[in-house]
Amino acid sequence: MNPVDLLGKIIEISHSNLEIPSRISSILNIIAQEMHFEEVIVYTFDRDKRLTCKFMNQKSVLFLILNQYRCHIGEGIVGSVAQKRVPQFFTIKDIPPRFGCLFYPDLNGVIEKFKTFSFLPLSDDSYLYGVMVVISSSRETIHDSEKVLLSMLSREIGGILRASELIFSSKKRISELATLSELGKTLTSNIEPHELLKNIALIIARALNATFVTIRLEHTFLKLDSQRFTYGVIEPSIENYVKELEKEAVRTKQAISLGELAPAEHKDSFKLSLYASPMLSKNRMLGTITICGTRSQQDLALEENSQYLIHTIANYISSGLENTLLNTKLRDVVKELGDAQKRLIEQEKFRSLGEMTANIAHEIKNPLVIIGGFTKRLAKKIQFEQTENRYIDIILKEVSRLETILNEILDYVKENPILIEPCNINDCMDEILYLFNSDVTWEQVHIVKEYDKALPSIMCDGQQIKQVFINILMNAFEAMHGSGTISIKTEQIKLDNKTFAAVSITDTGGGIDPAIISNIFNPFFTTKERGTGLGLAISNKIVMNHNGHLEIENVVGKGVTFVVYLPFKNSITKEEFL
Amino acid sequence: MKTIKLLVVDDEENIRILFKEELEEEGYQIELASNGLEAIKKIKESNFDLIILDIKMPGMDGIQALNAIKNVNKDQPVILCSAYGEFKQDFSSWVSDGYVVKSADTRELKQTIKNILHIT
Repeated sequence: MNPVDLLGKIIEISHSNLEIPSRISSILNIIAQEMHFEEVIVYTFDRDKRLTCKFMNQKSVLFLILNQYRCHIGEGIVGSVAQKRVPQFFTIKDIPPRFGCLFYPDLNGVIEKFKTFSFLPLSDDSYLYGVMVVISSSRETIHDSEKVLLSMLSREIGGILRASELIFSSKKRISELATLSELGKTLTSNIEPHELLKNIALIIARALNATFVTIRLEHTFLKLDSQRFTYGVIEPSIENYVKELEKEAVRTKQAISLGELAPAEHKDSFKLSLYASPMLSKNRMLGTITICGTRSQQDLALEENSQYLIHTIANYISSGLENTLLNTKLRDVVKELGDAQKRLIEQEKFRSLGEMTANIAHEIKNPLVIIGGFTKRLAKKIQFEQTENRYIDIILKEVSRLETILNEILDYVKENPILIEPCNINDCMDEILYLFNSDVTWEQVHIVKEYDKALPSIMCDGQQIKQVFINILMNAFEAMHGSGTISIKTEQIKLDNKTFAAVSITDTGGGIDPAIISNIFNPFFTTKERGTGLGLAISNKIVMNHNGHLEIENVVGKGVTFVVYLPFKNSITKEEFL
Repeated sequence: MKTIKLLVVDDEENIRILFKEELEEEGYQIELASNGLEAIKKIKESNFDLIILDIKMPGMDGIQALNAIKNVNKDQPVILCSAYGEFKQDFSSWVSDGYVVKSADTRELKQTIKNILHIT
């Protein structure tokens, strides 16, 4: 085939509809066949910007050896041709001593077979796309006209590579746009923030084929159940790197990769590509997006492209995200306000209800005492038959029941003054347990004590605190139907810089139905057949009056732990209450 | 043996009767008053070993009456007796000598009287 026909054929292929790799392979085969070369190999840049063998003619032997190595621009003969963008032609006799990357040990005994070596840059006017290597074992020399032809052919291949790059980048752009549009849709949808953040992580992870994507919100911004939303799994071994990167991204308000963070000597030792970008809205730090991919994964061009993309995404979603989060915050605040108002109304209602209840209870108490008192006198004065005595007993029992209820109601609705004195909680508990231990109905109850013996005394009203413990212990007793184990633990606990004495009382009564658990501190709420529903309400009130709080840990099917937290330092003083 | 004289102060007539009958059975001599003013009038006329004082009464209530009684005679023993249980732990600040929650069961009242008067 004459050079003109050859050129014509190659131009025809290069403009055909074939896939780009097939176009290049066909051209390389034609060059090998028509110009009598054994090896026609094309180097292109890989994602690390290093020259790597990508295409070859069908009969190539060297490709399998050469493609194990890659070189930087300027490194070896291939790198130097790429750098200077000037073709170089050698025969076996005049190859320079530092022929560079063709002298790999694997080539010993192979390279000597070949006689001519040609290296041609694949470039257009502005960009370099690769290097073509043409080697022959039969040809002693390459004629000038052939050199010109090879240069023209290399220009043509350069053109194909440019087209390929354009197609690749436009495909990438389209997929980026698709990602951004998907993110946009998610941001404008009306979903809860935690769902939104999870979706964003998912979309980004899918778009970049990442191992995981994690979004972390700054604490100062919005209190959600969790500040971190992750798609994928963060291996425990790299958790610390993620945290470091996030910290750095927040501190500098700049995107950062693991490579930049790590000391230079470790740079290449990471098998992972990790990258964190801050999310800033009007210079306000919302949080960070961190993305991770494995470096060995061929299709994951994370290092640079994804860095750029994740940065774009972070910028893109930040204002939308801020809006969503602010909306949620607003909604929460409105709801809180509504709740507070409702509580206030209820409190007010309860206060007046309480006063009324107190008055009614007091007014009932006197007639009740009279009824009961005179029934007793009646029983004393007259010798009744057995039946009448039974009736009298019933009247007296019911009177005493009513008295108990009235006493509890009056206890609850009246503000009790607190008598503050130093009180040893362990001793307090032991005094109560002593009473219970001497009660036969408590025989089946096993008590396990785990006291902090060094627990300092606290300032409290010992009588009232005893009442709290008694109420909780009685509830435990009744939940276990009088048989089971009650574990009592006392300890010192630090919460929000305040030290508390914590008393945990755990029963084996099967726990509380979750459906009713929010009611158990409400006055008059009871599950007992004959309860007033005031025990826990009173206990809660007493503990609150001591600036402490009550917590419940409920394990359905097992039991309940009540934890009474009482502060060691109490701002309430004796004077205030007397 | 000298008879022990008690004054029961309560605005509720049937409570007064109940306490009178119950306590007379114990061998005490009982006088009655239906409010604080009447009680003060009575202690100025004669001496009582012990006064049982209701708290919630119209006019002068039990706490005011207690202060007034202690002003007349600071050593006068007084038991406060009320439907309210919660005052119990605080009665010391009102300088009464005992506190009993009003109940159909008068055993606690009787025992408290004995304790204060050192009767075994």
